[in-house]
Amino acid sequence: MSQTNHIEKLATAIEAMDMAGISTLVKDALAAGLTPAEVLSKGLSEGMRRVGVKFNAGEVYMPEVLVACDVYFAGLNIVRPLLATNDETIIGTMVLGNIHGDIHTVGKQVAMPVFEANGIRVIDLGENLNDNVFVEAIKKHKPQLVGLGTYMTSTFMHTAETVRVITEAGLRDQVKIICGGPAVDAEAARRMGADDAADDAWEAVEKIKKLLGRA
Amino acid sequence: MSKIVDQWVERLKGKLPPVGEMTHWERLAAAMDLKKTDMVPVAPELDYWQITYAGYSHKEIYNDVDKTTDACIKTWADLRCDAIWMYIDISHQIENFIPAEKRPEHFILRGDKDYLLFKPIAHTLDEAIALYETKAYERYINDSRAVTHYTPHMLQLLEFQEKMDRQVPVILGMATPTNYAETVVEVQNFLRWMVVEPEDKMRHYLNLCLQERLASLEFYREYAAKNGCQFMCLFGGARTWGPKHLDKFADVDRIFAEKVAEIFPYTFWHHCGHNLPKALDMISATRGVKGVQYDMPYYGQTVTWPEWFEEVARKFHGKQCAMNAPTTQLACHGTSQQVSEMVDQFIDATLPHTTACIMPGCEIDSFTPVENVKAMIDTARARRIK
Ligand code: B12
Ligand SMILES: [Zn+2]
Repeated sequence: MSQTNHIEKLATAIEAMDMAGISTLVKDALAAGLTPAEVLSKGLSEGMRRVGVKFNAGEVYMPEVLVACDVYFAGLNIVRPLLATNDETIIGTMVLGNIHGDIHTVGKQVAMPVFEANGIRVIDLGENLNDNVFVEAIKKHKPQLVGLGTYMTSTFMHTAETVRVITEAGLRDQVKIICGGPAVDAEAARRMGADDAADDAWEAVEKIKKLLGRA
Repeated sequence: MSKIVDQWVERLKGKLPPVGEMTHWERLAAAMDLKKTDMVPVAPELDYWQITYAGYSHKEIYNDVDKTTDACIKTWADLRCDAIWMYIDISHQIENFIPAEKRPEHFILRGDKDYLLFKPIAHTLDEAIALYETKAYERYINDSRAVTHYTPHMLQLLEFQEKMDRQVPVILGMATPTNYAETVVEVQNFLRWMVVEPEDKMRHYLNLCLQERLASLEFYREYAAKNGCQFMCLFGGARTWGPKHLDKFADVDRIFAEKVAEIFPYTFWHHCGHNLPKALDMISATRGVKGVQYDMPYYGQTVTWPEWFEEVARKFHGKQCAMNAPTTQLACHGTSQQVSEMVDQFIDATLPHTTACIMPGCEIDSFTPVENVKAMIDTARARRIK
């Protein structure tokens, strides 16, 4: 099988939600001489991109998207340890978690693979987090980005408080902060001291690239 | 007999100036019957908001039925909306699935002004099925908040409704089978299982949820309907399903809703989130459902708000009252001016096709400014229907 074939099979496996087949396909692709970065960016991430296009076109729906995300993660977990740390497809690292009081997990589950598929390495901090968790995570992981999962107005409004705590810890200048969820508003996010907000993961990628000067 | 209710009745009965030519009850009922009203009814879902509006904290009312009822009536007396929404939270819905000693792990009151957090009660489909097959929800009900808080609060509000001679209706809420099916296991798990689990096993689970809901209807018939309740909001699940999943699994909600509508003449459906037109079609084909509290357009649908309002109003023509506007987000973050504009847009786009009710797609957030809630009401009141 040609390398292009391997790549196409990986992308198709994500679209087809082939959980049973994905690990063999990844291993075969690596054995055929593809680099881990190629497996990820040309195969798995291409699959996620297509899922996004189909989702926005109403060809697949949230249940399928979630399962496709699981398949993506299963593949990612195999290649991630093999990726070089200076891999140039990585444009930045994000610590991502739901603000205090928020337990909506679906959006984060979808946003994570979309970000990963676009070169943003995501460290998932979890849900319902105290503001200090973000501070500690910034100190520990030195990310360029903080993603705040804010799925309700009340938790979105808490952004001001989280940003304040990050600022008081002297860390605000080190990171860009972006909020996400169905109830966000970019202007309101900026008023609360964050850098941007998006209610769509694919649109968020464009905004993140701008924030990182990569657009 | 409740002291708090009697105090309010004493203070309000016969002393309130009329609003328009119809009573609040008549106005909302007529709109849901697709009949002419003097003005567009306004019934925002204030269930959480009214607690803090009335000066209480959520912690304070959690175990205090009188304060909960007091908050609802005070809010109505001040604002004169066309309905009183009873206060409902997630613990009313699922505490009876959990033994008392385990409940603290599942519920956390976040802060004075807002929500209760909860964790799912089953993690696999087998666990969820077992919960239902063993009727766990019956075992733990007696000391659960369904009994200690929801029921007495509901009875107080209905007592108020009746003693005020049905000037204003009380809206109760019930979750549908799919809402339960999702909530018990966490929505995201349920969504995945629709794709990866055997279809008959999913159907078995949903049928168990339906059976439990139908059994609970007996309680509602006995305690709500017999005490005067006529307005029922169905909190639907299935908000993020695709058309295929709706075709396969959503019939349990339809079966349930049709039974509810036989008991409660003014049954409407709360379908918040990004609305798939197909889901709205299915809801509007449900016998007896007289209104739909709908929300944002589905992902990827690029329509403006006025276009969306019109599209939905056409769908509901001759069938349902359209309930929306402004969005919960705008209500909270927008200005009164923007709120007012959106209410006008909604009325303009809807009335040529069906009746309208001002009722944002979901409950009003506790942080929503009072002026914005007033703007919804004032805008609708300012427009007389000729
Ligand atoms: C499913 C759901 C639930 C489930 C959550 C299950 C779970 N484990 O996730 C349950 C039933 C538990 C639930 C509970 C509640 N919910 Co709810 N819920 C929803 C619903 C219907 C769908 C959410 C969803 O999964 N969407 C699909 C995902 C993929 O979309 P998304 O979250 O927007 O994510 C996308 C983007 O935002 C982006 N993204 C996601 N995360 C991030 C992060 C970053 C950093 C970035 C940049 C981007 C990004 O990527 C995703 C893909 O594009 C929404 C309505 C809606 N429109 O979304 C309401 C909604 C979020 N819920 C709401 C409410 C009010 C509640 C409750 C308070 C209800 C109650 N009274 O109990 C509780 C609160 C629970 C809590 N404390 O967190 C309201 C919030 C209203 C508001 N404006 O404040 C909403 C908006 C409904 C509405 N129309 O008003 N809910
Ligand atoms: Zn809602």
